[in-house]
Parts: sequence; C-alpha cells; structure tokens
Amino acid sequence: MSTRQRDSTDEFEEPDDDTLSRDRIRENPRPAMVWLGGLAVLLLLEIGRVFAGVGQLFGIVGFTVELLASVPTSVGGNVGGTLGSAAGFVATAITAILMAFAITVPVAGSVPDGAVDVLGLDLSRRGHRWAKRAELTFVLVALAGLIAYTPFGGVFSALIGAITGGVDALASSLPAITSRDLIPNTGHRLPEGGWEGTFLGLSPAVAWAIRTGLVFAYATAFLAWMWRGFDVYRTHYRLADWTPRDDTVRRFRNNYWGLFGFAIVFVFVVLALWAPAVSPVEAQHNIYEPNAHEFEYLSDDGEVTSTTHVFANLQSRSDGQNTIGPMSYDDYGRWAPLGTTNRGQDMMTHLSHGARTSLVIGVTAIGLGALIAVVLSLLSSYYKGITDIATVMASDTIQAVPALLLIMLVSVVFQEADHPIAQPLDGGLLLALIFAFAYWPGMWRSIRGPSLQVSEQEWVDAAKSYGQTPLQTMRKHMAPYIAGYILIYGSLLIGGVIISTAALTFLGLGINPPTPEWGRLIDGGQSYVSTDSWHVATIPGVAIVLVVIAFNALGDAIRDAIDPEADVDESEAAATGGGA
Amino acid sequence: MSRWEYFVKRLLLTVPVLFSVLTFLFIMLRTGPIDPVAARLGPQAGAADRAQLRERLGLNDPLWEQYVDFITDFITFNFGQSWVVQAERDILDIAVGAAPATLWLGFWAILLPLFIGIPLGFYAGLNPNTLGDYAASLGGIIWQALPNFWLCVIALAVLRRTREGGELLGINWYTLGPDFAARDISITGTPRLEWFSTTDILMFPVPYISDWTALAIDIKLILPPALILGSASMAAELRIGRTAMLETVNSKFVETAKAKGLSSRVIVWKHIFRNALIPLLPVITSEAFLLIGGSVIVEQIFNINGLGRIFFQALTQGDLPMAGALLFLFTVIILGLNILQDFLYTVIDPRVGYNQ
Repeated sequence: MSTRQRDSTDEFEEPDDDTLSRDRIRENPRPAMVWLGGLAVLLLLEIGRVFAGVGQLFGIVGFTVELLASVPTSVGGNVGGTLGSAAGFVATAITAILMAFAITVPVAGSVPDGAVDVLGLDLSRRGHRWAKRAELTFVLVALAGLIAYTPFGGVFSALIGAITGGVDALASSLPAITSRDLIPNTGHRLPEGGWEGTFLGLSPAVAWAIRTGLVFAYATAFLAWMWRGFDVYRTHYRLADWTPRDDTVRRFRNNYWGLFGFAIVFVFVVLALWAPAVSPVEAQHNIYEPNAHEFEYLSDDGEVTSTTHVFANLQSRSDGQNTIGPMSYDDYGRWAPLGTTNRGQDMMTHLSHGARTSLVIGVTAIGLGALIAVVLSLLSSYYKGITDIATVMASDTIQAVPALLLIMLVSVVFQEADHPIAQPLDGGLLLALIFAFAYWPGMWRSIRGPSLQVSEQEWVDAAKSYGQTPLQTMRKHMAPYIAGYILIYGSLLIGGVIISTAALTFLGLGINPPTPEWGRLIDGGQSYVSTDSWHVATIPGVAIVLVVIAFNALGDAIRDAIDPEADVDESEAAATGGGA
Repeated sequence: MSRWEYFVKRLLLTVPVLFSVLTFLFIMLRTGPIDPVAARLGPQAGAADRAQLRERLGLNDPLWEQYVDFITDFITFNFGQSWVVQAERDILDIAVGAAPATLWLGFWAILLPLFIGIPLGFYAGLNPNTLGDYAASLGGIIWQALPNFWLCVIALAVLRRTREGGELLGINWYTLGPDFAARDISITGTPRLEWFSTTDILMFPVPYISDWTALAIDIKLILPPALILGSASMAAELRIGRTAMLETVNSKFVETAKAKGLSSRVIVWKHIFRNALIPLLPVITSEAFLLIGGSVIVEQIFNINGLGRIFFQALTQGDLPMAGALLFLFTVIILGLNILQDFLYTVIDPRVGYNQ
C-alpha cells in the first residue's frame, strides 16, 4: 500500500482513486482493452438505439434547463403582479442569483484555486471558499444574462438545435440489430398464401418472436458483459484483493428469492427500454396517431386494400362482444401476442410502452426523493440543531397528510390549471415530482438513525479537525454509509410508486391518454373480466403484481446482502402504495 | 428524558404541524396555479360575475388577511358550502353524513386483517421453515403486492358471476346468508346502517341491535371491500407477527419459563403472545393511513357513498375547497391517531423514548 501513496500537493485532498486505477490500466492494458472492445461491438450492434437514447437524454436535459430557466421570470412575474414591475425585476434577479449560487456550491470544489488567486486578496480558507463560489456565481449569472438578453442567445440556441437535430438524424439513419427495418413484422397476407413485407416472408408472429428473442438475447449478453467488466476490474485493477462489497455480491448471488426478483425486474426494464422493438405495431401508428397512418391488409374478397389504424382498431376491440385474445391475429392480419385492448389497440404495444411510463415515473420519483432525503439527512445530522428541527417539521407535515390523497389533490390542482409541468408524458412528470415530494419524508426518516450514528463517529471528527470542508466531510465520510440504506428503501418504495401510478390512472386522475399506462388498461377492461375479453384487465394486473413482488424481493435481497444483521424497520418501507 | 416528557413533546409538536398543513393547503388552493374564480365559474363567465365572486370569496383582500381568514375558518371547522358536488350544502354536514359508511368500512377493514393476519403470522413464527410457514409467508408477499383497485375489479367480477350459475366453490354470493337476489339489492352500494335503535336505560340512551337481518345485509355488503382494503395491512401484520414471534420464542425469558417447567401452552399464551403483540401496535395504528388513502379507491369501485368517494367526486368535479376541507379533516384524524399511538406506546412499552 505504502508505495501507492503519493505526496499530494493539496494537503486537504485525498489521493484520487481514479488516477491510481488509470496507472494500473497503463501497466496491464490487455484485459481492459478486450473488455472495452467487446463493449464497443455490443454498442455498435445497437448504435441506432444508442443515439436515440442520447437524443432523448438531450430532450430531457433541455426540458429541465428550460424549466429551471423559466423559474426566475415566473417568480418575478408573480411578485411584479402584486408589488409593481420594479420589485418584479429585483425578484427575478435575486432568484436567478440564488439559483446560480445553489448550482455552484457542489461544483466549486473541483474548480482550481488559481481562479481566486487572480483577485489578489488575502483570504482565510473559509473566505477563499466563499470567494470561489461567489466568483462562479457571477460567471454563471453573466453567462445566463448573455444568453437571455443578447443576440448571443440566438446563436447559442441555434447551436443546441443543430446538435440535437444531428443526433436525431443519426438515430433514425443508423442501423440496429433489433430495429423494425431489419426484422419487420408488419405486412399483409398474399391472396395466394404467404406474407408480403415481413422478415423473410415469415408470418408476423414468427418475425415478432425472432425480434423479441433477439432483444432479450442482446440484453442478457449486455448484462453478462457488464458482470464480466466487474470481474475484470476485480481481478486485474482493484487495489485490494478483497473488499466488503465482494461479500455483498456473493450473498446476493446465493439468494434465490432475490435473483428471482432481479430476473423479473430485468425483464421489466428490458421491456421498457426496448419498447419500440418488442411491440408488434409501432406505438406512433397504433396508439398516438391511429388516423394518420395507413397499412395494407388482405380483405375478405381476396384483394390487398389499405386502411387506417383508427378504423381497424374499431373493428378489433376486445369488449365482451368480440374478442381478439392473446396469441391471435385480428381481421386485418395484425399479430396481437397479448390480444387487443377494449379500444382495439395492441395490448403488447400498450404494455411495453406502459412499462416505459412506469419505469420513468418510478425512477424519477424515487431518484429525486432519495436525493432530497440523503441531502437533508446529511445536513441535519451534520449541523443538527435548527436544521434538524426544521427537517423534522417539514417531514411531519407531509407525513400527516394521507399520501395518496395529497398526491391526488396536487395532481388535480396542477392539471386543472394546465401548468406546463403537466405536459410531459401527459402528466407523468408531474406525478413523478409529486411522488418525490410525498415520499422523501419516509425515506429521510428511515435513514435518519444511520446518518446520526455516522455523524457521531470519530472519523468524522477527525475529518473536521483535519480541515476538510463540511461538504467534503459529508460526501466522503458520511454519504457512503447511508447509500446502502437508501438503496434498500428505494427499491422497496418503487413498487409502491408503480401501484399508486396505476391506481391514479385507473381513477382517471393520473396520466391522461394517449400516453400508455397499465392502470388505464385495467380501467378499460374492468367490465369484461367475466366475459371472453377477460385478458384486458387480467394481463396488466398480473404484470403489476409480478413487478411489485419482484421489486420487493429485490429490496429484501439487497438488504440481506448489504448487512444481514441490519435492523431495517419493515413497517416504514412497506411497499403498498399508501393503500392503492 | 422520561417517557411522559417525550409524549408531551410529541403532543406539542403536532400544533405547528397542523399549521404548516394549513399553510400548504392555503398555498395550493388560493395562490397555487389554479384560479379559484375560474374554477368555480368556468371559462365562459362574464367579467361582472367574476368580479362579484372575487369580492365574495375575499380574493381582493390583502394576502395576509386571506391567510388569517382561511386558517381561522379551518381551525373552527367552518368550511363553508360545497360548490358542485352537493351544491350549497354545508361541507361539514356532507362530511358528517358520509362518515358512518366509511367508519363501518374501516371498522371491518381493521378487524378482519387482525383476525386473519396476526394468527397466520404467529402460526408461521411458531412453526418456522415448515410447509405451513412457507405457504403463509408466500401468501403474505403476494397479498401485499396485489393492487387494491385490481383486486376490487376481479372480486366484483367473480362475485357477479356467481349469480349466473358460474358458482365459486358451490357458493352463490347473492343467496348466501341474506338473500340479495330475492330482495333485489345490488352487491355494491352504501350500507344503510339502520339496524340499531336506542332504548333508555336509567335516562341514558343505549343502542341495541333491533334488526338482525339489516345488520347481516350491511355486513355482507361491506365484507368484500373491507377484506380488500385491509389486504395490505393483513400482509404487513403477517410479516411482522412472524418476526416478532420468532424473536420472542428465542428470547431468554422463554428459555427460563421452559426451564421452570411451564407447559408449552402457558408459555405460548402467557409469555410469548403478549410480548409479540408490542411491535404490532404501530402497524395497527398506522393502518389508518392505508385505510383513508385506500377508501377512495374501494368506495369508488364498490359505490359506497363514504368520505373517500366524496373526496374523489370533489376532485373530479372541480370542487377544490371541499377537497381541501376533507383533506384537512383526514389530517386531523391522522394526527389524533398518532397521538393515541404514542400514548398507548408510552403506557405499554416503557422502552420508547429513552434513547431518542
């Protein structure tokens, strides 16, 4: 170990782990190169989808930035409405500066100190830190002002538009092995038998099965390669021969209940990520804009005719009277592996895109809620006193209101007002934000004990007296001990979020059509459970049950793996979705 | 800190919590993104009507005055009148009228899981790693993951089917017990709760059950929704009951009791059972959360005109002040139950509060 320790020029910084492993890779590059080569091949096979994902990521980031950028003006507008336009302008400026400052605090540490030395001031260490933050804030505000109030902004947005346009163009032109162009399954019967337009002239069912099989094979290969990457890192590049994390992984691998949960969650995530590939018909054609898209089919009188999806959907509804059940074709030669919905849409398409909706909402809500919970628990256990009491008050307030009803009320208030935040995913983003707001107190409460314990440890005292900033102490010496707990509660709560989302959509308060959601499927099929169209409400219901069981099993297994002795209070994290 | 000090501290803390809930409601309903006037009058209303209503709702007053009015009204339970759902009726009247059905539902939703979940959990804990234990545990896991609204849909379909000959285990739900088919009543609907009368004993009115058939009808009406509403709590009780039982069975005082030569029956009932109940207390009281949240869904699907359904109607029909008032009432109930739980804990389990 001693040979690896380096003389750090900055006595307050610990040796950076990244440079160490970089050195080790330089010494023995072969295993890393082999692994990276494999990864590159895997990514190249799906390059079209990779770029599509990047494009979507750009969209999300752009939306978030736009939303944040609109905050100062909307605050200013509200204040200006009551106190006059001058006060409004001041409020806009103050909000902008405060937001810029909030952004600088976490990143200021990684900015070189030279930036402050330029000023030529004689500062204490604390003053130095604040000067750096103030400087960064000034730069940020100046940049934002430049973009918002000068022609430079036009150039900037043109540049962004060019980049996103380029990514989108690449996404649609680059190939992928699971793309519909490579293995098409939409075609029509020929009068003399056989199929036209499908993969190798196979029937749509077989073509769809091949594509779906390929998706799962690819995803499994990718997962296996990731595991191999961990293995390579462990055997060739890690400093220690053994870390406690190895035991965690070993315990998890021997927990069959947890592995079952992991497998189902894996299928769910693959279904969500590859939704366009596993759906037999394109969602855009079948669900979002059925009257704008035509397709060809072999009519009863033996001619190939063309019709719109909206008309065909009307004829292939599963509404008790006629039923397109699982594993069958409708009258228009469209393959429906899980049957059709009560509105004639394809169930598999709806289910996979609904999985996407659920996953996005669940991950956003739990991620955001966990972030709030971790930050607040670190702050309240580090500073204690008034910070702690304020957090207790805030969380008590939110927890005193029944969560499901609170979510309903807030969601209705924002949707009635047609707030811009209710637009993405037809209310999905709004729901995710409300879930994060309603669920962080529970998570905070469950990690409060551990974080208070950590804050009492001697190494935290040592770090303080060693001169580490509060932020660094919290990040390096406290946060790692809380991460495990938040992982457990997060995976236990995500099932609750999925159930609640489905329940709200079922009641018509959550996600509006056309965005697919499992709860709406159950709502549509509820009158037909005891008819031939039983599958409409049953299949999504079983899917929800499986996914929720899987997330609960995964959470339990993670808990057992991280610390078999952990005394985690189950009643706090019971993933029941507040009675939904 | 003594346990009573801890209790008093918790009690005092509910006051600021109540105020911040009120503040939150005020922000949501008055200064939130939605305009109360537009919400009430709709988009076509004329400017004169708008101005008049604006004045009547006090929206032209300074914000702090509106805030003080809002808080005083809510604290004194003076919620005003409903706009749409039952127009011009006092909100408090509506709530009081709807409360009995919800209470009846909640009563059974707490009772049923208690008598199913806890015995099953204790059984599993007493016989760990047997087939019965696995069956009970697996049942609990699945039961907990079942979404209530889906269970309601499926249960209703199955029960309705029993009428047309598709009998479930040879049971026709319509004719089982009080005959619904002959009386021509639906298997969903609001319990009438008219089976008791009062009689004066020594000048005090004492209720007694006067109509056993009506009682049976009400119970039959409420059983399926109550079972579903209590499903999540039942699973939680099963899990925690099992753990508590396992822990208690392996504790020192049970060993001592065995060494003393007590019969296993006395050990189980006198020493194990009572101690294993302690960790179940918060589960039982926290059921109120689940019941209030879940009552919206269950009452809506089973057509029970209770508080939850009225809250849902208020939301979907744009009667936001009523929804806010009901939410406040629910919050008051929950805060009260929290205090009750702390009180019971203070009395039952002297360990709480020492290490806080």
